Amino acid sequence: MKTLIKKLVETVGPSGYETRIREVVRAEVEKLADEISTDAMGNLIVRKGKKTKNGLKIMLAAHIDEIGVMVTHVDKNGFARFTTIGGVRPHTCYGSRVRFLNGAAGVIGGERLDNQANVHSFENMFIDVGATSPQDSPVKIGDVAAFDRPFEDLGDRLISKAMDDRVCVAVLIETLRNIKSSINELYFVFSTQEEVGTRGATTAAFGIDPDVGIAVDVTGTGDTPRGAVMDVKLGAGPAIKIKDSGMLADPNLVNALVNCAQKNKIPYQREVLLGGSTDARAMQITRAGMPAGCVSVPTRYIHSPSEMVDFHDVENAVLLLTAFLSEAIVL
Amino acid sequence: MIELKEMLKSMISLPGLSGYEKPIRELITTSWEPLVDEISTSRLGSLHALRRGNGALPRPAILLAAHMDAIGLMVTSITDGLLRFTGIGGIDPRILPGQLVTIHGRNDMPGVIVQPPDYLLPSSQHRKSIAMEYLFVDTGLMADQVKQLVRVGDLISFRQEPMELKGNTLAGHSLDNRASVAAVTQCLLELSHLQHAWDVWAVATVQEEVTLAGSITSPYEIKPQIAVAIDVTFAKGPGANDWRTLSLAKGPCLGWGPNIHPYIYKRFAETAEKLDIPFQKELMPRHSGTDAYGMQVVGAGIPTIVISIPLRYMHTPVELIAMKDIERTGRLLAETIARLEPDFLDKINWDEVEDEEK
Repeated sequence: MKTLIKKLVETVGPSGYETRIREVVRAEVEKLADEISTDAMGNLIVRKGKKTKNGLKIMLAAHIDEIGVMVTHVDKNGFARFTTIGGVRPHTCYGSRVRFLNGAAGVIGGERLDNQANVHSFENMFIDVGATSPQDSPVKIGDVAAFDRPFEDLGDRLISKAMDDRVCVAVLIETLRNIKSSINELYFVFSTQEEVGTRGATTAAFGIDPDVGIAVDVTGTGDTPRGAVMDVKLGAGPAIKIKDSGMLADPNLVNALVNCAQKNKIPYQREVLLGGSTDARAMQITRAGMPAGCVSVPTRYIHSPSEMVDFHDVENAVLLLTAFLSEAIVL
Repeated sequence: MIELKEMLKSMISLPGLSGYEKPIRELITTSWEPLVDEISTSRLGSLHALRRGNGALPRPAILLAAHMDAIGLMVTSITDGLLRFTGIGGIDPRILPGQLVTIHGRNDMPGVIVQPPDYLLPSSQHRKSIAMEYLFVDTGLMADQVKQLVRVGDLISFRQEPMELKGNTLAGHSLDNRASVAAVTQCLLELSHLQHAWDVWAVATVQEEVTLAGSITSPYEIKPQIAVAIDVTFAKGPGANDWRTLSLAKGPCLGWGPNIHPYIYKRFAETAEKLDIPFQKELMPRHSGTDAYGMQVVGAGIPTIVISIPLRYMHTPVELIAMKDIERTGRLLAETIARLEPDFLDKINWDEVEDEEK
């Protein structure tokens, strides 16, 4: 599974430019699907099974897009100014490397600051791709790039620039692989444009019209020195979302997931996230509404180029989803 | 027979925080059941009650949306037996220290919101009303007992009892928006001795205080021809006196602005004038901050209006309303609905109404 995670996190695919990562995912899931399609937003939708008498139609969503940057201007010396795609923060940018869809690499530099203790604003930074003029630059206005860092395997802990949300894409792929039979009709949605407003899941949920929606995404932790006040930590199991800043999870769905974890002796954590949201937010208010929730992989340093997860949490997320989706769900 | 003030007092004695509306939904169901023909619960938990009209089929329908969810708190972590928490909905941390609350753990139990002494807080918090992240709920229990009874994600609700004040006013928590649920109830009562051609869907929506989720989803299912949000608005009071505030006990407020279809406004205003029901005009130049904002753009769009009940001290446990405003809101709704002719929808037009200030 680590090989799969490495392959997924090292593919460039900022929001709206998910073609390449979609093909990587498609190659993994094609043989496992009863039906596979791509909708108008570029969501890759995999159906597994057919709804039976006591079954439900369930949509699962892990987003394939990642945060990134877009070139707004290339100056006469070849320096590229940029804007952001999704929730990029300036203090993670200076000195970062970026990789464009066309393979070009660049480093983010900044103008001289009057006070070195300050953080560069986006307007004060630029991408240096090694060019000396717009003519010899491998990038032009509108080109997009993702942050570029190699995947690191520390044993229990894994680091990458795109754990959000490729690690959960891996969780869904493994879950799909594990489920032998289910009374439920399962839709594994590898959604697009989550980082710019949960837009892919909005249309996928409308198109599929499921009974229940479950996002699989990363969540923050409170286990670092003087970090956020949050009761989630790495290594204590996948988190079952109760609330984030965009939605309140369906309480019956929360209880069903908790009961499933307890019954199968899978470690889990109860999650109240103060900042951020997931595809579940979009699913909850689609059409006439649906019970929605989220299984989260606890992640440190989210939206930095070095997001860290615990591999046991990832494996346990697969176990939890596999157990939950294989059986009858009573909400 | 429903005694409106008693019903409202029961409603504001219950929790029913956003996303967890079951207790209040059950009470409203009991009150509405005798007044409607059908009643059901949506997948998100909104209560849908249909009172059929006597017009010919296919019959147009008007949806009355009053959100039943309340703001409150949720446990985020437990430190040395004290509960840290976050808000559900718009909570002003300034009013929290000293409040009595109920923690909905494995059992309900009382608690108090406390703040650490000034000298123990970071200097950014000194001599100020302090941020929510530094406040705690104390249950009186020892740390190990708390761990047995309370979990992360448990709810905390205000414990303020309903208080009848002078001048037929009522104070308590969750009058936003249980006062409007009472107004819809009053409307259903009045409709039971009026003829009405249109179907009436009384809807107690969920999650208005967080995402407007009920107002986005229920109209998708019901597909009404007109939608009315009934909510509370800022009443004039100490230090609150500009155009954004309206007078307590001077009648329901009809919303005016981009969220409001002017012809629907006109129809309500005409009915109020005809029946000598006092009303006020409430300017809503932007987001109305109500379910109408969600409902207006559901499906192919719905002509929408907001009718508000003035309320003082919004989002505190001592919200204050005048009963008279609630009764008048209910009556204005019922009388306007009874006057909706079967072909009313063919007459309405966004362009014909001018904004005439009287």
